[in-house]
Amino acid sequence: MSTSTTVPESLSAAPTVTGSSWTRRIIQNFYVRRIAKAVFTIWVVSTIIFFLIRLLPGNPVEQYIARLIETQGMDYENARMQAAALFAIDLDAPMWKQYIDYLGNLMRGNLGVSITSPGTTVTSIIARFLPWTLFSVGTGLILSFTLGILLGLMMAYRREGLLDHTLTIFASVVSSVPNYLIGILLVVWLGVQWKVLPIAQMRGTMSPGVTPAFTFAFLYDALFHAFLPITTYVLTTVGTWMLSMKGSTVGTLGEDFVTVARARGLKDWRITTAYVGRNAALPLFTQLTIAIGFVVGGSFLIETIFQYQGIGYVLSAAIAQRDYPVMQGVFLVITVSVILANLMADFLYGWLDPRIKVG
Amino acid sequence: MAKNKLDWHTGEQNNGRAPLSLENVHVSYATRRGKVRAIRGVTLDLHAGESLALIGESGSGKSTLGLAIVRLLPETAETSPGVITYRRDGREVDVLRLKPNEMREFRWSECAMVFQAALNAFNPVLKVWAQALDTAKAHGWHDKDAIRRRLVELLEFVQLDPKRVIDSYPHELSGGMRQRVLLALSLLLNPQILILDEPTTALDIITQRTIIKLLRELKEEQHFTMIFISHDLAIAAELADRVATMYAGRVVELGASDDIFYRPRHPYTLGLIRAVPTVTGGFEQLFSIPGSPPDLVELPSGCKFHPRCAFATDRCKQEEPELEEVGPGHTAACWHWREVEAELQRNPLHRGALNVLDVIEIDEEVVS
Repeated sequence: MSTSTTVPESLSAAPTVTGSSWTRRIIQNFYVRRIAKAVFTIWVVSTIIFFLIRLLPGNPVEQYIARLIETQGMDYENARMQAAALFAIDLDAPMWKQYIDYLGNLMRGNLGVSITSPGTTVTSIIARFLPWTLFSVGTGLILSFTLGILLGLMMAYRREGLLDHTLTIFASVVSSVPNYLIGILLVVWLGVQWKVLPIAQMRGTMSPGVTPAFTFAFLYDALFHAFLPITTYVLTTVGTWMLSMKGSTVGTLGEDFVTVARARGLKDWRITTAYVGRNAALPLFTQLTIAIGFVVGGSFLIETIFQYQGIGYVLSAAIAQRDYPVMQGVFLVITVSVILANLMADFLYGWLDPRIKVG
Repeated sequence: MAKNKLDWHTGEQNNGRAPLSLENVHVSYATRRGKVRAIRGVTLDLHAGESLALIGESGSGKSTLGLAIVRLLPETAETSPGVITYRRDGREVDVLRLKPNEMREFRWSECAMVFQAALNAFNPVLKVWAQALDTAKAHGWHDKDAIRRRLVELLEFVQLDPKRVIDSYPHELSGGMRQRVLLALSLLLNPQILILDEPTTALDIITQRTIIKLLRELKEEQHFTMIFISHDLAIAAELADRVATMYAGRVVELGASDDIFYRPRHPYTLGLIRAVPTVTGGFEQLFSIPGSPPDLVELPSGCKFHPRCAFATDRCKQEEPELEEVGPGHTAACWHWREVEAELQRNPLHRGALNVLDVIEIDEEVVS
């Protein structure tokens, strides 16, 4: 960045030099480079998915053809045609042609058609179910991240105190219990034994008769149905945030700039937020991106337990029924969501930590 | 500039008295092994406009003393007994009795401290301007234009380009630049006292020169009252009006800079001076004090320096000497200071400290 700005005026006046410094500035731009990296990763992942489906022994296409012949008594030609239509590929074309077509379809958003519900495109299934997962997982993560950072900060400031010990035990326990167990326990305790929550009504993503709209009633209904998944996400992840933040804060409290800030007579609140908290939270943003991918991928157990129709619910149904095009689409969505989350975190990080953009 | 609301006492005949007085100050840390006695009864007056150097090995308590004055010691430290009195405009406060918020106001606006390792002195995610603004606002100064004007003026004084520095993040500045920014920032609120804790450590010799020149200007032209903590005797000799040698948490010798460096009366000070290497001298001239600094949990009996001292006698093992007058305005805590004097006459100083000073004079010409 600095190289282009320090070009002497006499030089930058020459058209050729301006051109090259202009392109160089784009290439060296932090955001441009990160986006290019993300696009490249998505391409690599989709290529791997393509070859996995076709090259593995007993690949889904062959299996589907065999199943059609067995169950429906179709002849091989017909079965093959139907399979090709479902997966949106031309089975007679050479491999490289199939690959190019696949990439072309992908760019147009064509991921094939579902096997179990013929006529429904995978893209439309994803478009219908993904927002619910993003909503519940996103809310859960933001809540648990915020809560974890605040509690971790408190624990570090009062370390070795009663609050610290209590919260450390709590954090270790909740983060060591698997999320599906916490989900089941929530159903058993809150719904069945204590009858605090109307579990049956909370199933699904919306109550019947409610339509998505920007109204308070809809938002309330959406949160009502997402309450248990969100609670589970928060409970299973908040412990890790708390402990990471505590460790990070203890380290930051020992930094010279904190002592200097106190010597400068800054108010405690300002030191805690802008000097300690902000610097201690920085490394946690990297962990946040990993968590987003993990939770989207791992959401299928939770969504099955609570009968919450998100992308995880779709995935578990697709796995049970060997709906390969849907599985392929969902896997792609999961990887893309991880990559996008990473990209977002990088941009956020570049804004939060000025040292990053330089490197 | 906003004046702070400290709980001032109108002292009786305070005018003209030292801005800072330490009386019998003790600092100890509670550890598993026992009580670490870092400062054991330091009594000192810091006169207006003077620069006082604290010298001594690591662990002698000099940094602890600096931190004790602004009360930035870790929570495990106990500062008692002892009284630290701060005076301004004929009024005084007892620093150790200030309430937390008063202490916060006292820091930086009355007494600023420039730390060693200025590399990490700044919050890495805030620009220099934001950190200066934080400092000013914390002391009730909200006029942004005036703050900026003052900061620009100070950055120019420390020979930095304000336009470049003000909107920079700390990592965009070199170590020497950061140290100078911190120095500029320490003057922002016009404090009466400046404490400098190893301000030139970890800087290359050229940058050290720039900083020392600035400090000298502060001393000679603006008559700042400074406490200068250093283990670099050459720099201390150059900047200090008076020097206090510290050993095992006590001041063992105190006197005018010339007295300390040319006529030391405490064997420890003498050892320190003889241990200064010269650039031109060979190894044969190098002297080191045998042994290592004492364990502050289990201090030796009597004079704490006796296990390492060539002059030590039985008396030194039993009785700890107090500071006694060895010359005009020159005190030393040693039973055998006369023997040190005699030894110096037999064996004059090998111009150890002097040599370093000479080298620095030459170096200065090269730089400027």
